[in-house]
Amino acid sequence: MAVAIQIRSVTKSYQRAGETLRVLDELDLDMAPATFYALMGPSGSGKTTLLNLLGGLDRADSGEVRFGGTDLQGLSGGELAAWRARNIGFVFQGFNLLPVLTARENVELPLLLQPLSASQRRDQAERALQLVGLGDRMAHKPRELSGGQEQRVAIARAIASDPEVILADEPTGDLDRTTADSVLSLLQRLNRELHKTILMVTHDPQAASYADQVIHLDKGKLGRIETNHPARS
Amino acid sequence: MPWKLLLRNLLGHPLRNLLTLVSVALAVFLIVMLQAVTLGLANTVSAAASNRLLVQSAVSLFVDLPLAYQQKMAAVPGISAICKWQWFGGRYEQDKGGYFAQFGIDPDTFLPSYPEMTIQSGSYEEFQRNRTAAVVGASLASKYGWRLGQTVPITGTIFQRVDGQPWQFTIAAIYQSSSPAIDEQTLWFHYDYLRESVETGGATGPDGVGVYMLRLQPGADALAVQRDVDALFENGPQRVQTTTEAEFNRQFVSMLGDVPSLLRLVGGAVLFAIFFAVLNTMLMAGRERTRDLGVMKALGFGNAAVAGLLVAESLAVCGTGALLGIGLAELLEGPFQIATSSFLPNFAFDRDTLVLGAGLALATGLISGLVPGLRAVRLSPVVALREVG
Repeated sequence: MAVAIQIRSVTKSYQRAGETLRVLDELDLDMAPATFYALMGPSGSGKTTLLNLLGGLDRADSGEVRFGGTDLQGLSGGELAAWRARNIGFVFQGFNLLPVLTARENVELPLLLQPLSASQRRDQAERALQLVGLGDRMAHKPRELSGGQEQRVAIARAIASDPEVILADEPTGDLDRTTADSVLSLLQRLNRELHKTILMVTHDPQAASYADQVIHLDKGKLGRIETNHPARS
Repeated sequence: MPWKLLLRNLLGHPLRNLLTLVSVALAVFLIVMLQAVTLGLANTVSAAASNRLLVQSAVSLFVDLPLAYQQKMAAVPGISAICKWQWFGGRYEQDKGGYFAQFGIDPDTFLPSYPEMTIQSGSYEEFQRNRTAAVVGASLASKYGWRLGQTVPITGTIFQRVDGQPWQFTIAAIYQSSSPAIDEQTLWFHYDYLRESVETGGATGPDGVGVYMLRLQPGADALAVQRDVDALFENGPQRVQTTTEAEFNRQFVSMLGDVPSLLRLVGGAVLFAIFFAVLNTMLMAGRERTRDLGVMKALGFGNAAVAGLLVAESLAVCGTGALLGIGLAELLEGPFQIATSSFLPNFAFDRDTLVLGAGLALATGLISGLVPGLRAVRLSPVVALREVG
């Protein structure tokens, strides 16, 4: 299979209360492009740590994290930031919208890092918001939106700069079932229609059922990988 | 730089930022004012003429010199004219709370010795002819609405008339000054009017002369004249101290204490206090925005952008505060000049003073923004996002 992301012998440890806690242990993983993955596992299994390594937010102690032809371990802090801006869209559990900005301004924020004019940024942000069904909420600030709407704005922000990969950390963790389903359907649509590679951390098997493949992590090691057939649509 | 975010962050805490901004504005206003006072004092000293010496008692400025000294000093080589100065210290009847200086002088030698003074209206000759006439500064005349020919009643505190009535001075001329060494807030009258009134029993007061002004001949050696005049009265009856006009002014200013140092100390304390106020505001802003800064870093914003956001916010608050403070100072310069004209005739802002005020405010803003900015640089997006997640 064509490989979008390749992880080889990745180890990551943290110091907690004087003890070394190995969160990822010699992990190997290949992820195909345009595939929707769910990453599951008990608390402390290393899901968020793996997501952070893939997103270039953190660095592995050893091993390789390759994204296309790029070895993330070899990039400087500044290069890594620029790489994130071009290649990764993040969706967080707590939405993490900037409260002082409107929905459209939040979506425009990552576009400031792209070589675009103000009108191009505006158009691109509005298209992203229309895509997630919030064309009529562009001038609203986050506090004026529901949780589901906030997460849709966050997803619009994640796709605004057209990144290849979307990393979502418990994107439905703070949402009720109905709202969660609509957000998951949206992620699935982004994968199906826009061919985004999506890696979604979740505890929720129902959320995982939206993914093409479910990767299980346990104590920092790769467990089984399940394929959902036929995937929910 | 996400300018819109900067603006929204500034407006996001309107009260806090407004209070900080007002604090900076008041601090800049105060610093500019204090600096203007310091400069005003310095200008008075530095604008002194080099061809005028002043002779006072070696004991104190408040001890008068004998009248007979004038004739003896006139024989000293290098002196072209002598003018007596006598402090009157009276109160203007119509404005007892106000204050302006009055001096008894020799009309014939006074104006020729002060080329920086010009008669704006009236006649100096009329002043010379009329024993009870006075010459007043343009600012003083304007302040009280005095006109030529008007009689100004002044009650003596040192020289009191025995009939209990105030002294009456008729305004013969109004002068302007082109130098900070001479203010436009003084009333000058005939020394002889004062002396004759005391001698004939019409008034009471000390004998003698407060200060003699010596005008030097062109090319005269000022040091030699100082030395000769001091030597002349070495054996009394009253020893004298001859100084340049600049030194005399400096001594006069120092009678108030070391005002410039005191003002700088107060200004420094104000700056110090405001620095911590701004720093506290910016630290609070930085801490509140830990999550936002983490999100920005995750989205790909570099260290310079996140730190720059905080520095720019701090600079915006302090810069706007500085503009307000300077604007307020400019607005109040005129009223302040009027209010302080009697004791600080050279109060004024110069460009350097305003630049100093703005510079200090911006430096405060820069440092106050850099502290949380550097913290933001060190902030890991993983940690920032975990703190709230």
